[in-house]
Amino acid sequence: MPAAAQLSAKPGAVVTTPHVRAELVAHAPEGVAPGAPVWVGLQITHQPEWHTYWKNAGDSGLPTELNWTLPPGVAAGEIAWPVPRKIPVGTLANYGYEGTVLLPVPLEVSSTFKPPLALGTGASSMDIRLKATWLVCRKECIPEEGEFTLALPLQGSTALHKADFDATQAAQPQPLAKPGAVEVNGNKLQVRLEDLPAAAQGKTLGFFPETPELIRTAAESGKDWTQSWEGGTWTATLPLADQRSASPTTLPLVVALAEPDRQPGQPVAWRTEAPVSGTWPAAAAPRAEVSPALQAALAANAADAASAPASFTDLPPQPAGTFAVALLGALLGGLLLNLMPCVFPILAIKVLGFARQAGNRSAHRTAGLAYTGGVMLSFLALGGAMLALRAAGAQLGWGFQLQSPAVVAALAALFTLMGLNLVGVFEFGRAAPNSLCSAQARHPIANDFLSGVLAVVIASPCTAPFMGASLGFAIGLPATQAMLLFAALGLGLALPYLVAGFVPAIAKLLPKPGPWMGTLRRLLAFPMFATVAWLVWVLGQQSGIDGAGTLLALLVCMAAIVWALTLRGRTRLVIATVLVAFTAVLTAAIGRNVLQTVEPARMASAAGQRWQPWSADRVSELTGAGQPVFIDFTAAWCVTCQYNKKATLADAEVLADFDSKKVAMLRADWTRRDPAITAALTSLGRSGVPLYVLQAPGKPPVVLTEILRKDEVRAALAAL
Amino acid sequence: MSLSPSSDSRSIRAARQARAALSRASRRAVVAAAVALGATFLMGNHAFAAPAVGQQAPDFVAVDTSGAKHKLSDFAGKFVVLEWTNPGCPFVRKHYNSGNMPATQKAATAQGVVWLSVNSTERAASDYLQPAALDAWMKSQKASPTAVLMDEDGVIGQAYGARTTPHIFIIDPKGMLVYAGGIDSIASARPDDIKSATNYVNQALGEAFGGKPISAASTRPYGCSVKYKS
Repeated sequence: MPAAAQLSAKPGAVVTTPHVRAELVAHAPEGVAPGAPVWVGLQITHQPEWHTYWKNAGDSGLPTELNWTLPPGVAAGEIAWPVPRKIPVGTLANYGYEGTVLLPVPLEVSSTFKPPLALGTGASSMDIRLKATWLVCRKECIPEEGEFTLALPLQGSTALHKADFDATQAAQPQPLAKPGAVEVNGNKLQVRLEDLPAAAQGKTLGFFPETPELIRTAAESGKDWTQSWEGGTWTATLPLADQRSASPTTLPLVVALAEPDRQPGQPVAWRTEAPVSGTWPAAAAPRAEVSPALQAALAANAADAASAPASFTDLPPQPAGTFAVALLGALLGGLLLNLMPCVFPILAIKVLGFARQAGNRSAHRTAGLAYTGGVMLSFLALGGAMLALRAAGAQLGWGFQLQSPAVVAALAALFTLMGLNLVGVFEFGRAAPNSLCSAQARHPIANDFLSGVLAVVIASPCTAPFMGASLGFAIGLPATQAMLLFAALGLGLALPYLVAGFVPAIAKLLPKPGPWMGTLRRLLAFPMFATVAWLVWVLGQQSGIDGAGTLLALLVCMAAIVWALTLRGRTRLVIATVLVAFTAVLTAAIGRNVLQTVEPARMASAAGQRWQPWSADRVSELTGAGQPVFIDFTAAWCVTCQYNKKATLADAEVLADFDSKKVAMLRADWTRRDPAITAALTSLGRSGVPLYVLQAPGKPPVVLTEILRKDEVRAALAAL
Repeated sequence: MSLSPSSDSRSIRAARQARAALSRASRRAVVAAAVALGATFLMGNHAFAAPAVGQQAPDFVAVDTSGAKHKLSDFAGKFVVLEWTNPGCPFVRKHYNSGNMPATQKAATAQGVVWLSVNSTERAASDYLQPAALDAWMKSQKASPTAVLMDEDGVIGQAYGARTTPHIFIIDPKGMLVYAGGIDSIASARPDDIKSATNYVNQALGEAFGGKPISAASTRPYGCSVKYKS
């Protein structure tokens, strides 16, 4: 056969690369003439594991491209793509071909086609040129291309590759009688195909959309998507791609039988162009309209918010006349501080102290004065330090000292010592038994002063609930006025003891000393240890489980050393030395854990959780989108915050109200220093946590009370 | 004899360099392990919920080729471009060898945009490059990204749904994903196509800086599959 000889001998019909063998083949059983079936095609034989791609390549890859150069009057049609195979690549997937595939293309020979004159031989032929590019991949990808030529005899039959073309024809998807329907439903695509042949019914079908970038290619049937049969009707629900870039009104698609279900001589796949109903989920019109000018304005706003209070909220500006009110507020706030859980351990000590000195009026007076002095001076010191640091540019707020792991650890140690002392493990002053008289004269005053200092240090995180507004005000004031406010606050805290010291009627109300004091003293050790438990938990928030664990270990060592020091003679020397040495080794080995700061979460928490991390941008983004926002400004070391979180903010009814109003819930965690949160607190006129803000779009923010009540939250939500 | 002092100092220098390299490498390994661990823990079963355009871009911490840590949220207030890359991929080489990618990077960073090239190729892949080698390749291509991030565990890639190299994501100053897709409009490995293609990154950044909405915000990424760790 001359044709066969020509075809196989002709150089240029085959291109071989390390990954594929590609050959231009033709099938013209009736010769080349107008109306006669003429097929050409590129047959690609892949090396094992390598593949090329379908018209929709899937998550990566490129479809094979064929560019024909044909004589005038001859036109190439589209590639009649055989049914592809889904090729998973890790978490991604492609649609393509492995093994041997033939990509057939029909040629349309029109009546204008003029066969070239046969010169000499008499057997005229048509020159076909093909430039093909394909991407062949295993895990790595190689773009390849080839140029092919083929002389197709005009007369006689070209059928050398008949079997290949026939097999490819048999593997072609068959058109469906009815177009079926595709409906977009949220993030799902619901496909309904009707009148599928009986051979397919009940079988699991593969789904191949011809439009790329539409569904999640790697989704697996039965796991990520579902399909079901009802007679000859096949329905499926498929997940849309997360980053879909196509929104077609008609979806050309192919469904195919799984390879084991395919019968020779029977259709294996079906194709349709289904109309799409429903609306594609809005690709959330990207509005990155942050021009440099706007950006500069935003930055300026942020700077203003950091330096001056109440810049973006509608809180009324503080007129100068309110200073007296603020002073009174500070005094009252200080008084109320005595009821706060933070101050309770101190309260316990004071009650005990008063009971010890029952009847001794001058001692009461001195004690009251010393305590008041301690409280006021420490408030002034703390306030002064905060003002100075803020002036120096540090973003601090009230309670800032508890943001430092070192301070938390030191307080835990101090409270452990106090607890041990109350339990009776040791007595202060044991070291100097001989100077009893002078000690009695001097120690009470120092003790009272120091207990005042301690009260302030411990109480400061609790001041925000009652003093938040007043303190925020103080920070914006000139230094002298601010210091006066701090002094008023201290006076308020100390006032009950001062009054008790000077008004005998109140002191008389206290019970007489007796054996009950020993019981009370031991009882009072437990609030101390409870405080230690809280401080260890706070440290755990800052330094992680290792830090908290190390702190506990060191506290145990400290307790042992304290106990050892109460022993006598050689025993004391030996045991104390051993314990001190052991503690030193332990501190050197793992002590650093306590002071380390564990970084916050690596990946921002995923969507779908109730609480999202707060950021000023997130708030403006949500309110910009018309969603009301509830912000919980909190910190691990803030007991009131924790109470609200566990009680009101965990209440099912309250949460249901939040959900029904579609309120976005953001949590700003101030456990560690965070300049952004400090700035936000400042802008709301506060300098501490807790703070609860409900912000509806286009309305001034509603600041809720610090001890959050259920009915209050629900009323605020109902008013949205 | 006369050679000994210089050879001594050379060996000392070599030893010092080796020690520095070791400490850099171990620091990077520790940080990378911590990042991967933290990220894996926090990402958990949300591994496939990649953000759509218009949604908040997931925050991450990653180590660059020189061992420095970068946190996405630290760049708040700036546009950030994430470019998935792998020099072993012909599509990546198309855009680097032609100078297209380095030019796009330069144009972007000159406007104050943060450009982070991310390599999510797993260590076991045949074309995986060590940080130093990747850095050297980037330099040889005169590339000018802000940093080249190593993501061998694919945590960031999976979080963003990065599928191909190259695959581009643009995050606006508010941390919102505003572009996801290809580097340009003609999906091919032919460098000749670059001049007739629309560079989607230049277009998107130009529109964003001009205060206009991004006209092509979701496009088709094309290239090699990201060789994720399985």
